[in-house]
Formats: sequence, C-alpha cells, structure tokens
Amino acid sequence: MKTAQEMKPNSVALIDGQPWLIQKAEYTKSGRNSAIVKMKLKNLLSGSSTETVYKFDDKMEPANLDRIEVTFSYSSDSVYVFMDGEYNQYELNADDLENVLPFIVDGMTDICNAVFFEGKVISVDLPTTIVRQIVYTEGSARGDTSGKVMKDARLSNGTVIKVADFCNADEWIEIDSRTGEYKSRAKAPV
Amino acid sequence: MRVTCDIFCTVIDNFGDIGVTWRLARQLVAEHDQIVRLWIDDLQSFCRLCPEASNEDEVQMLQGVALHRWPRQWQQVYPADVVIEAFACQLPAAYIESMAQRSAPSLWLNLEYLSAEDWVSGCHGLPSPQSKGLYKYFFFPGFTPQTGGLLRESGLIEQRLSFQQDATARQQFLQRLGVSPQPDTHLISLFAYENPGIGSWLETLSVAGQTTHLLVPEGQIVADLQRWLGVGKLVAGDLHSRGALTVQIIEFLSQQDYDRLLWSCNLNAVRGEDSFVRAQWAGSPLLWQIYPQQENAHLQKLEAFLKLYSQGLSSAAKAALLAQWRAWNSGEDMRESWQALLDVLPELTEHAENWCRQQAAQINISAALVQFYKNWVQCAPKNTFPPSLPGN
Repeated sequence: MKTAQEMKPNSVALIDGQPWLIQKAEYTKSGRNSAIVKMKLKNLLSGSSTETVYKFDDKMEPANLDRIEVTFSYSSDSVYVFMDGEYNQYELNADDLENVLPFIVDGMTDICNAVFFEGKVISVDLPTTIVRQIVYTEGSARGDTSGKVMKDARLSNGTVIKVADFCNADEWIEIDSRTGEYKSRAKAPV
Repeated sequence: MRVTCDIFCTVIDNFGDIGVTWRLARQLVAEHDQIVRLWIDDLQSFCRLCPEASNEDEVQMLQGVALHRWPRQWQQVYPADVVIEAFACQLPAAYIESMAQRSAPSLWLNLEYLSAEDWVSGCHGLPSPQSKGLYKYFFFPGFTPQTGGLLRESGLIEQRLSFQQDATARQQFLQRLGVSPQPDTHLISLFAYENPGIGSWLETLSVAGQTTHLLVPEGQIVADLQRWLGVGKLVAGDLHSRGALTVQIIEFLSQQDYDRLLWSCNLNAVRGEDSFVRAQWAGSPLLWQIYPQQENAHLQKLEAFLKLYSQGLSSAAKAALLAQWRAWNSGEDMRESWQALLDVLPELTEHAENWCRQQAAQINISAALVQFYKNWVQCAPKNTFPPSLPGN
C-alpha cells in the first residue's frame, strides 16, 4: 500500500478491484486544512473519468505496471505514436498523455518509458529532466541575473512556462517534467 | 422519517472547532428537524461556550441536540444517516465498521476549515474512496457559490439589525456586561491569540484624539494586555485607562452574547474561524487574526480572503485594510497602518455591511449540507466506484 501523496501521475491504483490511472495529482496544504491530494482518475477498463480527493496519508493500493523504453515517433491528429528498440509502435490518445502532453514536441529524442497495465499501453513517462528550446520570450527588461525573477516563455509546441528573466528566445532550457518548472539554461542536444 | 446526524469533533485547542460544530448541530435541529448527536472529546472546553452544559454527564440534551462525551473506549452505536467528521478528526474504527454494515449507507462527510483560496471550489463535494466500500465526501465552507457557504442561522441578520436599531437593547446588554462607555467613544472588541505587535496598537489608541473603549473577553490576549498595562493578573471586570484608551476585561461569553457584543461595537478584532464568521455577520469593520501556522503557512489563506474581501473598496481603503491586517498578523508596528485605517473607517463600515448582505444571499452550511444529502439520496448511492456526485 502507498499513501495518496506517494501515488504519482501515470501510476495506477486499484479501487474496488478496478484499475484507475492517475492522470493528475495535485497536493494542497493550506492553513489548518487537511493536506489533501486531488486526483483525476481514468478507469482503464471502461475509459470513464472521475475526480477524487484523498487525505495525503490515506492508503491506496498500487497496481503492478510494466515499463519499456520508447522514443517519440510522430503524432497525427490526436494520436501519438511511440516506438521501442525493436520498432514496435505504440499508439496513445492525447487524453492518455494529459500529464506529459505539454512537453511532447516534434523531433524530441528523449528516452521515455511506455507504461503498461496487463499488456495494454496506458501512458508514457518522460525523463525527469528534459531539454526544450524557447521559441519566443520577451527580452529581459530589468537585467536580473539572480534567476528569481520569472517571465513567460513559449516552446515550439505552444506550451508556455515560466523561465528565468535572463533567458532568451532560441535558447535551450532544462525543465522538470514532473512539475513543468524551469530548472536552468542548457546546451542544445546533439 | 427524520434524518439522523452524528457530528464528531475533537478539541485541538481554543474554541473554534467546537464553536462551529455546536452551531451546526443546533441549526440542523432547529431549522431542518434533524435528530443530531454531537460527540465531543473535551466537555470542559465546551462548557465555557455553553454554560448550561455539564462536564459530568455522558449524555445531555441541550437545545435539542444530544451532546455525547466522546469516550476513549468507544461503545457501539447505530450510525446516523449523515456522519460528519469535523476538521478531519478520526472516527472510531468500530463506528466506521458499522457504517459499512448499514443496509442503507450513511453519507460520510469531512467538514473542513474555512478558506477563501481558489482550490477550495474545485475540491468541494468530491468523494474520497475509503475501505469497506465506503466513500467520504469533502465539504468545504467558503465564500463563493461553488463552496458549502458559511454558517448562518435563519433570521440572524434581521435579529442583528433589530438589535442595532434599538439603543435601549444595546445599552442594557452592555450594562449586563458591566460596560458603560462614554458617549462618542469607539467601542472595539478584542478576541485574539497572543500578538507581539499589539503594544504599538494600544499605544496608538492611547494617544489618539478619538477615545476608545476596548472590550476584551477573557482569553489568550489578556497576558499581552497585562504586560502593556504593567499590571498583574487581569480578570473579568478589571478596567484600566491609559490616555484616550480604556481597557476592560469581560467574562468569556456564550455564543449568543458574543454575537451581541460584536453587534454593539464599531470594530471587532477576531481570530480563527468561528468569531471571524460572526464578525462578518455583524456588518461592522473587522480585524482578523488568522490561526498561526509554522513557516507562515497561514498567510496564503489570509491573502486569499483579503483579495476577495477587498473587492469594491477604493484604492485608499484597500491599501489601509491590507496594511493593517498584514501588520496585525505579523506582529509588526501598527502605528501608521492604524491611522490609515481610521481615515477610511466610514468606507470600511459601509463595505462591511455590503459584504454581509452579499454573503447572506448565499446558501448557508446547514442548508447546503441538507441539500447535499437530498441529492445524494436521489442519486441512489451504490457502493461502487465512482460514487455519484450529488453536488450542492
């Protein structure tokens, strides 16, 4: 058993014997209120979705999942295709990738993990740290070099994230794929 | 069939938790004809809020509510139709077991603390799967229609207006407390946790052109007043003057009398949750001391309320309100912020009444709970996941 706080997006919980994919998990602790985790769940058998709230220390039963390494091949409409080392292709809908979709870009070379439940691919995990290119951001108005002042920056797929004020268009940056937060400047991937 | 309700409350500290659950229990009985058992683990604290209660009795009927001492060794009872765990207190395991064995499931609710933060509306009413096929729903009080609302008894605002329009009633009430304010003096009530910055506020009041009569129910803040006044132990009835400021300690009041105190004052300094809400129903300017948390976790909650509450104020009034509330909650010097607040007090007074009316137009917690239960029953709850989402 794991606590609700330990259950991360793309993991699967067994609830009343049914497998539920955790598509989103938002932890909140505020004032005297209970620390809670709000989850968006998708039933892997019926496809239905629901939202729940758990206290952070409520116990949940994780399902056994298998993972294999894949890379992103292409997308067509809302279908995303990944391929393993033996050229097997795995198709996922945008809905299945909700958590990582903001960071899937054409030409990405990240080694990802396709996640399987009882032989069926259910989602994809990105590496914790990914490198992406800024295609547009405003110039640095204040000349801040501390990294504490943040501004919006747009990636090639249209995703907008907060980056340090000193970052420029065309630069490459490291992002924490779990949180979507900017980490640092980076070199262009080779 | 009358709906039965069990409310469980553990007293962590102070009077907020039992204050809220006691109000809710009474209201469910008086306005919704429910059969309510209120389980409290600390009757001694409760007796201060409700002087007619006995600390000795295991079970007693008070204002239609069956008040039960929550025993350490749980004795099995048949679970109610609606089960409310207040503020995430832990229900007895045997009680949960018996909830699961009921032929018609109980509606299990976790009544949470009040917050104005945005995330609350997204979590209000959501289910939480528990063991044994049970589901618990998170019920969040709040200030918007997407939440469970605030505790407000039927006719409360009318009662308040009637009291405030009756100078004799106000005078008689204050006399009963032993309070005889000078004409035109500002009457301020002070119910607060310890506050390291309060000396600067008292200093400001004492040298002001306007006289102030400060009414302080016995409680935590009294120690800070003793230090500032340079006197020994203050008890109810003690009265000390410093310049334009008169400080008077009054006894700890029942909830009904505390309401009248709030209705009698020009401004109310309140704390925590229950007195904070009551001060809003008083329709007068208030100064809120939020329950302090480690690493200032409470300040986010304070700012969320300020953001909501300050809407519609002029920029000067908003700036004064924010500065004073922030100083009050961080123990900072309040000389400048208080003066700025006094300058906009007429606007804040009008705003407080408007805010009260705006909030009173929304559903109150007990009505929202009853509606939630009705919807839930209509959804024909089955012990399968996901459960029905009854909504408000």
